[in-house]
Amino acid sequence: MLSAQRPFFYRRLASPLHATGAGVGALWALSLTLATLAIFQPLVLLSLMVAVLGAGAMAGVGGQLRRTLRTAAIVAVPIVAVNVLVSREGLTVFARLGDLGPFGQGDLTLEALVYGAVIALKVSLLMLVTTLASLTIDPDELLGGLRRLSFRSALTASLATRMMPLLAADAGRLAEARRTRPDGGQQGARARVALVGAVVGGSLDRAMDVAATLELRGFAAARPTAGRMMWLRRLVTPARARASIRTRSRHDIAFSLSAVCVLALSLLVRVSAIAPFQAYPLVHAPVGWGTLALCVALLVAVLAPFCDRRGIEP
Amino acid sequence: MAGIRRLAGRRRPSRGPLALSLLALVTAGLAGCGLGAGTPPSGVELTVSEGFGARVLRSYSAPKVTGQETVMRLLMRNASVRTRYGGGFVESVDNVSGGEAHGEPVDWFYYVNGVQAPKGAAETYVHPGDRIWWDRHDWSQAESVPAVVGSFPEPFLNGIAGKRLPVRVECATQSSAPCATVATRLREAGVTAGVSGIEPGAEPLTLRIFVGPWSALKSGQAARAIAQGPEASGVYARFAPEGSLTVLDARGQSARVLGSGAGLIAATASHEEGEAPTWLITGTDEQGVELAARALTRASLADRFAVALAPGAGVVPAPAGE
Repeated sequence: MLSAQRPFFYRRLASPLHATGAGVGALWALSLTLATLAIFQPLVLLSLMVAVLGAGAMAGVGGQLRRTLRTAAIVAVPIVAVNVLVSREGLTVFARLGDLGPFGQGDLTLEALVYGAVIALKVSLLMLVTTLASLTIDPDELLGGLRRLSFRSALTASLATRMMPLLAADAGRLAEARRTRPDGGQQGARARVALVGAVVGGSLDRAMDVAATLELRGFAAARPTAGRMMWLRRLVTPARARASIRTRSRHDIAFSLSAVCVLALSLLVRVSAIAPFQAYPLVHAPVGWGTLALCVALLVAVLAPFCDRRGIEP
Repeated sequence: MAGIRRLAGRRRPSRGPLALSLLALVTAGLAGCGLGAGTPPSGVELTVSEGFGARVLRSYSAPKVTGQETVMRLLMRNASVRTRYGGGFVESVDNVSGGEAHGEPVDWFYYVNGVQAPKGAAETYVHPGDRIWWDRHDWSQAESVPAVVGSFPEPFLNGIAGKRLPVRVECATQSSAPCATVATRLREAGVTAGVSGIEPGAEPLTLRIFVGPWSALKSGQAARAIAQGPEASGVYARFAPEGSLTVLDARGQSARVLGSGAGLIAATASHEEGEAPTWLITGTDEQGVELAARALTRASLADRFAVALAPGAGVVPAPAGE
């Protein structure tokens, strides 16, 4: 039960994306995010979604991405519904709900439905990319990079990221304990609120413990001491990250090139009419050879770095 | 254990949701809901202009109509439109946008059968025979022009919001020539109207046309609004006590002064929702009233907010000078 509901956290797996440096991985994920924001053509967005799901499968996190997709579907439905009810810019009415009082006339249009679906698709893609990034990019290594810019911010972020799995485990344990009661424990929304309250209370206790530990280590002193700084460095930059000061691997180069290609294709979409899309006042989304070529190019650009499976072991 | 709980918790299927669904379907049917675009209204006309009708950008006697249109959808289907606020407000038509022109605020306004609609264009349905008129104009002097004459014979022929209203011609002198001329002009336009003397008080659900010299009408509610200026009535013309008619421009400045024998056809309404507009066919004297009565034709009034007339001057639009 616990493992089935386990939140999404980084775990080093044998995949090219896991073998890539955190900075390069983050850049790659950022390029996918920017592409999602730049593209509106539904077919191209769908091809990008297929590419992201494929990347997740090849990185060994396909199951988690499928779960995220189910969650995204729950989010997508209200997005589409609200846009259909609110937007008045479409011309093709498919249903009339009459006068909705303060909300005006309730003419539902195909254009509002399509645009709502496109926005829902983009939101789903953003959720997938974020999930993929959180599952495949080592947060410690990423924060190690941040340490050079702002040590205390890195410390705070590092503590926060380490707290998340602990709180998730707390929630799981509390829920399990409640289920073991003879009467099965409370059910429904009240039970969830009680669980959240307990977890929040526990998090405050942990925060007090961490603050006391930091104070004992001399963090509250006016000037940092060499010993304290070493301790903080060890906390923020774990052994794996310290050991990973290395030259660029073939995977780093491959994912960097992939990110550049994805960004270039996104830019191409913005500046050219290669994948035109207009939702209002009438849906206009012609699919030509250029659009199809763009879909294939995006698939290749995102998935190509996963073909090289050498040197991916943890 | 979970299985036992599930069995113990199993309930008989309730008929409540089914009954509620049926009730919702019946209510939806009664409220005019349905699938598809609905029945298109016939005989609709669409005009797009700027400067109080001075320059007509588009005019359709049979615009493209698909299903039960709103005023906004009708415009978007027949012109290139940019909107704001989720399609509720027109920003530009054919790249002619609202905002500011020559330091004065300008925006797009619309009239259905010569009446400024109380709701947004995306909320107003088009009814059979409606004349839809979009105009971009300076609203520095009058934020609202509640009624215009440029859609004649509307609103007398097809009414307001799909509802025909009784029409009454109220004359200062029932036996006068202008009174008979107005009745004839309405009859020629297919409008059935009653004729009476001037009745005191307001009748919000009757389309009233007051006919008579300004001196006889000036105590009425509509005439008092016109005397207060464009801000109160939306009419850019003013009668002077010495017997002249001043036509104002869009900035509220005097543009033309017409002497004796001048007439005016104007419409106004109170700003209360659902109140029918009132028309005035008046003049500085009997000669001016007769001149105005004769000008009660579609050709003379087309795409004008109000018109002034004078011997030798022809038809002068009000506001003038745009």
